[in-house]
Amino acid sequence: MTNEELKIIELLKKINSTLESLSNKVEKSIKIQEDFLGRLGHKGKTLDLDEMPLDVATLLYLPDHLRKTALAISELKEATASEVSEKTGRVRAAESDYLNQLVSQGHLKKKRKGHDVYFYIEGE
Amino acid sequence: MTSTFTLRGSNILGKTLTIHSYKGGTGKTSIAANLAASYAKNGSDVCILDYDFRAPSMQVLFKGKPKNYLNDFLDEKCDISDVLIDVTRKNKTKGKLLVGLTGHSTKTMREIMTKDRKWEMKALHLTLSAKATLYKDLNVDYIIFDTSPGMHYSSINAIAASDFALLVTKLDEFDFEGTKELINGIYDVLGRKTGILLNKIPTMHVPIGDGQKKLEEKLGRSFNFPIFGMIPCYCDVQADGGKTIYTLQKPNHPFSQSIEQLTEKLEDYLGKLDSSE
Repeated sequence: MTNEELKIIELLKKINSTLESLSNKVEKSIKIQEDFLGRLGHKGKTLDLDEMPLDVATLLYLPDHLRKTALAISELKEATASEVSEKTGRVRAAESDYLNQLVSQGHLKKKRKGHDVYFYIEGE
Repeated sequence: MTSTFTLRGSNILGKTLTIHSYKGGTGKTSIAANLAASYAKNGSDVCILDYDFRAPSMQVLFKGKPKNYLNDFLDEKCDISDVLIDVTRKNKTKGKLLVGLTGHSTKTMREIMTKDRKWEMKALHLTLSAKATLYKDLNVDYIIFDTSPGMHYSSINAIAASDFALLVTKLDEFDFEGTKELINGIYDVLGRKTGILLNKIPTMHVPIGDGQKKLEEKLGRSFNFPIFGMIPCYCDVQADGGKTIYTLQKPNHPFSQSIEQLTEKLEDYLGKLDSSE
């Protein structure tokens, strides 16, 4: 095998290891969420992420990067990606991506006001 | 996995602390009330909020008839400032001491039990937004949440809104194991800075001098969080039934002195948090 091929194999092994680690973390998050919901009397209910309101139980279930964004929007109520990035200290492009992930999961809505796009929690 | 983060801008104007525990009966309410009083006595402006909606008891320590309760605020019937009673003059503190009480009638406590997840979501948002009002409009330096023990929505909402959580535990295995569960399942996940306070320790188990320091370090390693103190069990404090704010009414009592030491340690720790962020 050439050096390049060996490097590619090494890289694929690293990616595989990272994916396994991520999978373990998601499993752990699911378990924490199930335990928490169980203690709050929601035992046995299926965890349909798309239907869950953005309460603390959902926050505990979210991956770290989305939780930070969700917590910021919970405090701001309605904000642009720039406003959220000021709150979290992360770059605007990353917050925009995370906010859109939360929209696609059904936790947030978005609307346009002039040139700006505002993200908000429905029902607020 | 430790995920530590704070939201920028959420702790610049003041500090928000939650006093929590795994089990009941650890002395959380007494610690919260005395800590708030101690900060106010030393000149800080403080707001203490009784977020123990299932067994509220702050009204025993801070007597007053508020126009509204925290329940009304979370039901969006009033602002947070409409809930607060100013007990500064009554308690003769140097700094302002504001108290937010929770409805303690059976009817009110029953209503809390029926709240759904959408209400809890709004309660979280209102709790977070209350901080802005308290810091910016009422110039509060410290917000202290007293909470229900264990895993309840209101307690976790308070933790989510806080910069720091002080876990009060007794010196028994049930408490230790449960406290570790809370740390792993809630505090760690939410990325909240946490400290442990051991309270109501039987006198024969309280080491003195270097012995106490060594035990605190050992326990700190076991929990992986700093230990903020070890307070002995005082029979007279127990017998008092929670009617006395010791730091104000009996400042020379050893319990008051333990609270003063706790206040100093917290100020030092929270001050260092600011400069490291």
